[in-house]
Parts: sequence; C-alpha cells; structure tokens
Amino acid sequence: MTVRLGYAINQWKPNFDDFTRPEQHRRALKVIAACGFTGVELRAGTGRWDPLGRPSSIAATYGSTTAFLGLVREIGVQVCSYYVDPGEPVDEELSRGRSILDPGQHAAIVESLRPFTEFLAEAGAGRLVVRALPGHGALTDGRLGDAADGWNAVGAMAAESGVRVSLHVDCLSAAADEKVLAELLDGTDPELVGLTVDTAELTVAGLDPVRVLSGHLDRVDHLHLKDTRYVDEAGERLAPHAEASMLAEGGAREIDRWFYECGTRGGLVDFPAVAAQLRDWSGWAVFESEQTPNPARSAMLNGWYARRLFDPNR
Amino acid sequence: MTALRWSYMDHWRADSPRGPVTQYTARRHMDDFVKQISAVGFEGLDMFDFQVFALTGMFGSVANYQDYLRDHGIDKIVNLFRGIMYDPRLADPHVRGTHDEIVESTRRMLGMWQALEIENLIVMPASLYTAAAPVTDDKIKAAAECWSRVGEMTLTEFGVRTTAHHEFFCAIRTESDIRKFYDWSDPRYVSFFCDTAQHCIAGLDPVALFLDLHERCSGFHFKDTRQVDTTEAYRHSPDAELMAPQTDRWFHEMGTEGGLVDFPRLMRAIRDTGYTGWITVEHDKANIGGDYAEATALSMWYARNVLSEICA
Repeated sequence: MTVRLGYAINQWKPNFDDFTRPEQHRRALKVIAACGFTGVELRAGTGRWDPLGRPSSIAATYGSTTAFLGLVREIGVQVCSYYVDPGEPVDEELSRGRSILDPGQHAAIVESLRPFTEFLAEAGAGRLVVRALPGHGALTDGRLGDAADGWNAVGAMAAESGVRVSLHVDCLSAAADEKVLAELLDGTDPELVGLTVDTAELTVAGLDPVRVLSGHLDRVDHLHLKDTRYVDEAGERLAPHAEASMLAEGGAREIDRWFYECGTRGGLVDFPAVAAQLRDWSGWAVFESEQTPNPARSAMLNGWYARRLFDPNR
Repeated sequence: MTALRWSYMDHWRADSPRGPVTQYTARRHMDDFVKQISAVGFEGLDMFDFQVFALTGMFGSVANYQDYLRDHGIDKIVNLFRGIMYDPRLADPHVRGTHDEIVESTRRMLGMWQALEIENLIVMPASLYTAAAPVTDDKIKAAAECWSRVGEMTLTEFGVRTTAHHEFFCAIRTESDIRKFYDWSDPRYVSFFCDTAQHCIAGLDPVALFLDLHERCSGFHFKDTRQVDTTEAYRHSPDAELMAPQTDRWFHEMGTEGGLVDFPRLMRAIRDTGYTGWITVEHDKANIGGDYAEATALSMWYARNVLSEICA
C-alpha cells in the first residue's frame, strides 16, 4: 500500500471573498504540511477573489504557475489534484455552467478543462477530479450514456498531458446511486476515467463507501476522506435546491454540519475497513473538512487520525 | 535534532457551541486538544500547576492523565508553571516574611504532582513591577533568597528544578537586575528559563541573554512578538499584559511576519552551547485576533522547516 496523504485547501475558503491573499495561502499550506500531509488539492473557482481557482488566476497572483508551484514545494507539499465541477459558472469564459449530460456542451467542457490538465502536468500531479454528474433530477433516460461519452472525451484530452480524470460523487449528485454509478463507470474507458470515492458524501447519500470501494476498486484512483454523523434518511438531497435547503441549511433536522474530521465521535464511516480495502492500492487520499468552523483544527485532527490509519508501524 | 524535543505550553482555547472553552471543560475537548498537538509533532506538554484539580476531576489522577497522554503520542508533562498571584501580605518574593508560605505552598502543590517526573517548576521570580517598585538591590536579593530556598526544596524533595521566567512586566526585568538575580541566587537551585518574546518586549536581546546565562538555562518558551515596549507598558496598572494601551496583543507564534525574535540565531546559540533537552513552544493569548490551532501548526512548521536544519 502506498497511500499518500493530501489535504483539500478549499476548507479555508468558506465564502467567495475569503482566503484571497497569498499570505493566507501560505499559512494554510504550512498548516497542511505541519500536520503531515504532503499533497494539496486545489478547487476550481472563478473571478478575481479566487486566486487559486484556476491556472490563469494563479499565474496572475503569483506571476506564473512555476512560481506558485515553487512556493508550494518550498513549504513542503505538492499539488496532487484539482477539483472541478463543470456545472459551476466561469466568469472568465462567460459561462453560466455546463452539463456533461448535454453532448452539445462536451467540446466546451473539454476546452474549459484543458488548462487544468496542463497545470496538473506541470505540477507533476495526475488527477483531475470532476463532479461526475449534476444533481438528482437532471438525469433522464439515455443521458447517462451521453455523460459517459463526455467524460471519455475529457479523459482523452487529459491523457495528452499524462493526467487521469477521476469521477467524484457527492451526496447531491445523480451519481450517488449504486446502479447509476455502476452504469456510468461501465460506459467510460477504464484507461482514461477513474473514480474518486468520497467516504462521507456517499454515507450521507445512504451508500456504504466500503462497499462502493470494494465493488469498484479497480477503477478507484483517488480518495476523498471525511466523516459524517448523519445519513439523509428522508431523502432531502433529492429535492430541488437541495444544496441550499439540505446541505447548507441542514434540512428539517437543521444539521449544523454534515461533514466532520475522520474518526470523529459518532462518525459513521468505517475507516479501518476502508484502509483494509487499500492494502494493495496506491494513490492520493485527500482529507477534507468542509463545513469546519476551524480549518487548522480540522487539519490537525485529520493529521492525527491519518497517521494512525495508514502508518503500519502503529 | 535528537537532542532537542518539543513541548507545548498550554494556553489553549477550543471553539464550542458554548463559545471558546478550554480543554479542561470536557473530555471530548481534551481528546481533540491532545490529538492536535500530537499531530504536529509535540512530544511534551507544559501547563499551569493548578490544572491538577481539573485533571484529577477528569481522569482520577494526574498519573492517569499522563498515561492517557502517552496513549496519544505525548511522552510526558515536562514543565509546570506556578500559577500564583503574589501579594505582599501573603506571598511575595521580595517580602522576606512571606517566604515560608511560598516554600510551603509550593511543597503542597508539587506534592500533588509527585507521581510524575516533572522537570521544571517555572516561576515569575518577582511580583509585578508596579507592585514592587522601586526595585532595589535588597528586593532582588530577597527574591534570590526566596527562590534559592524554594529551589533547594523542589530539587531535593521532588527532583524538580526551580527556574525563573522574567515577564516583561515583572519587577526583575532589566538586564542588570536579571544578572544580579542570578549572581545572588544559588546556581544549584535556581535556573534561568528563557522566554524569547518576554525579553524582546522588555528591550533585551534574548539570544545575548541566553548566551550570558546558558549554564543556568533549563528551558525556553519559544514565542515571538512584533513590538518592543516603547510606552513603559510594564508600568501599566493593574495589568500590562492584557490592558496596556500600546497593544492588545503582545505575543505571536514563531515565524510570524514582522517577528522580532531571531530564532535561527538563538538556535545556533543553543547548538553551540550544547544545550540538550526540551524546548517549549508557547502561544500566549493567541486567541486575541488569532487562533490557537493555526498558531500551533505554524510554529511546528517553522520548527521543522527552518530551525531543525540548524541543529540537524
């Protein structure tokens, strides 16, 4: 097992106008490094207040990709992956978001993602993590095949830079369904497209992440590790505007925080079972702490747990 | 860097639904605290001596607490800070008539920690500047006598060294008065504890002071500051540390932008003088415009990435 430990930096940016200054980025990267993580996953964003949101913004802020990557390395980490949801607006491209379910938008998605793969290649990173499918309700008959075709096209483009596309399933996504996920994976080329297992997102959606991991281990090429104390048993994730009503507002139970550090008290994810599945697996396990009230605190708690989960000497 | 180990001086606050709390309020906060400091590489823990009461309530005994720490990667409680408010009517180092009480109360307190292998009892060697002024040689001599007595007791009865920590607002704060204090106290029983930021705020060079007193030095508080006291804040009554007009935050984590302490130079001095043992990182009042978790992680990033190379 060669599980490399990464951390998602988007936990430091709770709002569009937070986390804008390079000194804030440096502090976050140092915290990540101090907690024993050697990789950092960036998250795509748009506009002048998201300087890490896309390669052009990084270059505008730091002078060049090379300068930014040098800074990251000096601090003791490396960029390991970039997360992009093509459904989000991109001001720079005058796009209000695109759907992988629409073949007419595949070419634009490929071109939109190309700079990310080139950036990752320069960083020596191998994973472009993408939102597999839009939210529940968007999927109608036949469109799953279109989505698979779209990801194959993105995968082929990414492969030109030596990068693999990895499909990430969040709890609001139409892919958070075992049957849909299996069909989507079946429709994509295993040489070009992999799967990111996100432990807490799957759990919230009522799936067993250990079962998903074991069922698709040959396709899993990236991990997002976080915990949760809750399952959306009422199916609030399926309702319109679930991102606001369920994820942000907490649904009828007014859950303040869906996601927790790995190993949290009352956590539902069986991480030892996850680790057991990874005995012969190699890749990046990116720890996350979305919705945390304190990113540094969460990184430290995740660092403590990560060492115990993956260090065979303990 | 095997000869040096990192300990953490606890002033921690955690966020909670009840607002900021210390880890002594609930076991779940304690669990998180210990995991967090362990995660970034600390192997030791320093704390105030009065926490014995909270720890006994939470764990049954301080020995149980130390076992718990070891289970979480923290090897031991290294140093205790004597949390005593000086009062000339009861206990004040420059008032000779109170020395018996200081010795006895210290004996009682250390007795509660007897099950552990504490290395240093850290004390402020004199009361607040404002409470002791004018500072005279006789007052410094009285303090030296006091801590020589205390130090003999702590070392012979408990195996604990007594070590003096000179806050910038403490009565023994200038270079010459500090020098006198060590000249007049018994070197067998009174050690020097170098708090980098406190000396810096007082206008002293902590590296030069360490080099001068290194044979007496038994530990460090590594913390930084961005300000020297330019307003005679040390005279501010009733308190200089939190209430002086000059700033609402004196202390920052090491490596902070604009920090005045030259830690690489200090580290070279530590290496060159052959100091071995524990170095304590402290974030005193980091919650004022900051955050304990972040400050702690940033400090250990600095220790590992900047300082460790010097002593590698």
